[in-house]
Amino acid sequence: MSDVTLVEAVNMALAWEMASDENVVVLGEDVATNGGVFRATVGLKDRFGYKRVMDTPLAENLIAGTAVGMAVQGLKPVAEFQFMGFIYAGMDQIICHAARMRNRTRGRLHCPVVYRAPFGGGIHAPEHHSESTEALFAHIPGLRVVIPSSPQRAYGLLLAAIRDPDPVVFLEPKRIYRAVTQTVEDNGEALPLDTCFTLREGDDVTLISWGASIMETLEAASSLAEQGVSAEVIDVATISPLDRETLLCSVAKTGRAVIIHEACRNGGFGAEIAASLAEAAFLDLQAPIVRVTGYDTVMPYYRNEQAYLPKVADIIHAVEQVIAL
Amino acid sequence: MKHFKLPDLGEGLPEAEIVEWHVKVGDSVDVDQVLVSVETAKAIVEVPSPQAGVVAKLFGEPGDIIHTGEPLLGFEGEGDDSGTVVGELKRAETETRQDQFIIGAAPSSRQARHQRATPGVRALAERLGVSLEAIKGSGPGGLITNEDVHRQASHQKALGDAEALHGPRRTMAKNMSLSHAQVVPVSIFEDVDVGDWKSGADVTMRLVQAVAQACEAVPVLNAWFDGDNLSRRLLDEVHVGIAVDTPEGLFVPVLRDVNHRSLPDLRQGLENLREAVASRKIPPQEMQGATITLSNFGTMAGQYANPIVTPPQVAIVGAGRMREKVVPHKGQPAVRRVLPLSLTFDHRAATGGEAARFMGAMLEALGQP
Repeated sequence: MSDVTLVEAVNMALAWEMASDENVVVLGEDVATNGGVFRATVGLKDRFGYKRVMDTPLAENLIAGTAVGMAVQGLKPVAEFQFMGFIYAGMDQIICHAARMRNRTRGRLHCPVVYRAPFGGGIHAPEHHSESTEALFAHIPGLRVVIPSSPQRAYGLLLAAIRDPDPVVFLEPKRIYRAVTQTVEDNGEALPLDTCFTLREGDDVTLISWGASIMETLEAASSLAEQGVSAEVIDVATISPLDRETLLCSVAKTGRAVIIHEACRNGGFGAEIAASLAEAAFLDLQAPIVRVTGYDTVMPYYRNEQAYLPKVADIIHAVEQVIAL
Repeated sequence: MKHFKLPDLGEGLPEAEIVEWHVKVGDSVDVDQVLVSVETAKAIVEVPSPQAGVVAKLFGEPGDIIHTGEPLLGFEGEGDDSGTVVGELKRAETETRQDQFIIGAAPSSRQARHQRATPGVRALAERLGVSLEAIKGSGPGGLITNEDVHRQASHQKALGDAEALHGPRRTMAKNMSLSHAQVVPVSIFEDVDVGDWKSGADVTMRLVQAVAQACEAVPVLNAWFDGDNLSRRLLDEVHVGIAVDTPEGLFVPVLRDVNHRSLPDLRQGLENLREAVASRKIPPQEMQGATITLSNFGTMAGQYANPIVTPPQVAIVGAGRMREKVVPHKGQPAVRRVLPLSLTFDHRAATGGEAARFMGAMLEALGQP
């Protein structure tokens, strides 16, 4: 049992899996000697050596592509991008090769790679360091997109991602990297992929979120409870493939859904969830589905980033809108 | 380990060369104690310690160049690593939590909704003022259809709109259900032979006076009872609420202090109250403060009743329609005028024995010629 933050849980899961599976390797910029820009890989090089913990050049295409080569030849690479804003140079490798390797080779090869990247805003970072573009990856068949929002789920889901035989884009909400400490047992037990997690049970409205926004969503649910509104909070966790069943069950009960995400609204993953609910929960809805999201602008510099991020008051306001109907 | 980084030595100089260390690993140092002499492009500067502590590491030998902002010396203890190379990460509060979640849907989410209807049907129902709860859906899987809503709407239209209650009738409805929810009522019934009354006797006044005498004999029923705090007040004065039926609903004006007033005075008081009720000019305070209630419904019809006790009062007396009846009189069957009485009391506040004695006292008072 250890009391760990989300980023420490990532480190703990990496260490566990490297110790139990010699094919697991870590690569990325500054991951070895420096221990990673957020210290996610700290101590791994000392423990497992340079051959398994590799510093790479500043070349994301190389990181993504090398990992594909390693994966199809039997290793289980965990590749780190320092920030999600730098991942685009590696997109060609991720989309055109990692995601379709199993299909292209008719199942002869598969690609058990994990692409880790911190994402999201709220840490006063410069340009390119604050975006939430998870919807880009959720759009690609053949990619799993997993987003933990607590230390326990970071630990359990990263283990599951590494053990998964296909590529996983593992996006870590860096705003809450060190915001919460939880007791996590370092026992190597994975949590299931492809399922939502219900964090709070309620009857009146379903709040659907993922990543760092889970914090504001839970806070809003607590405030709403004081006003007599019972909100169910669901952490989507794996946004692709989406666990629609859990969302539909919940909305069938509450009749109302509010989707909260940090990414901009236009084409955000909330749109896919809203469409799914409209298609399959149509008969259960008491009110329109409402989204609380970032704005359709470039993520502002840090002085204005708080104005961009969905706030507790925004979520409460959205719930008041749908509860009134 | 906590790093002490080479500070800006005040001239915007980018680097400095270590000249001489004044401490070594393992030394305890105090705040402002000189740690090292460094040579910048302009001068030799002595760098003081920013804190007290034990030196864990020296970064560099004399002659090495250290850039501003690079680690110079390490203290033992927790590091001040911010955990990021850009921006700031919010730190965890000291409290450690356990993660709480249900994998997948909550058990309560598995229950399906009862009234299934499309938003279009719901909108139609709202427009037509139809409640979906009243409809059993005829569509697939119990789905409520447009036809179901229209059928319910025309059904409602044929019946007409329900009439909303106003004023005294509304108040009556509320008070009665409130009373009914609280009081534990028990009723006893009795007939009084009033054959010896003078013709033209004022029945209501006889009843009021009998109630007053019974209250003096058994004060437990002339009381205010507080069921929430389980307390009671036995009252000396008797204020009789007189139930008055009007087309607008039930009014209960209060005839005050009936045990200390003359008959003509009481009669006049009652007339005044009835008139005030009939003209709807009775002030609210004239309908408050009753200690017991009389319902003389017998002026119309009916013999016995279970009238509702109004808290905090404890009892209500009902007088039925007086009629002729064959009863034993002085050992012989005789046709006599009989007044049926009902007494309902709150069994939380009074015993059956007390109520029976109260009824006995009323019988005695009313049995007089």
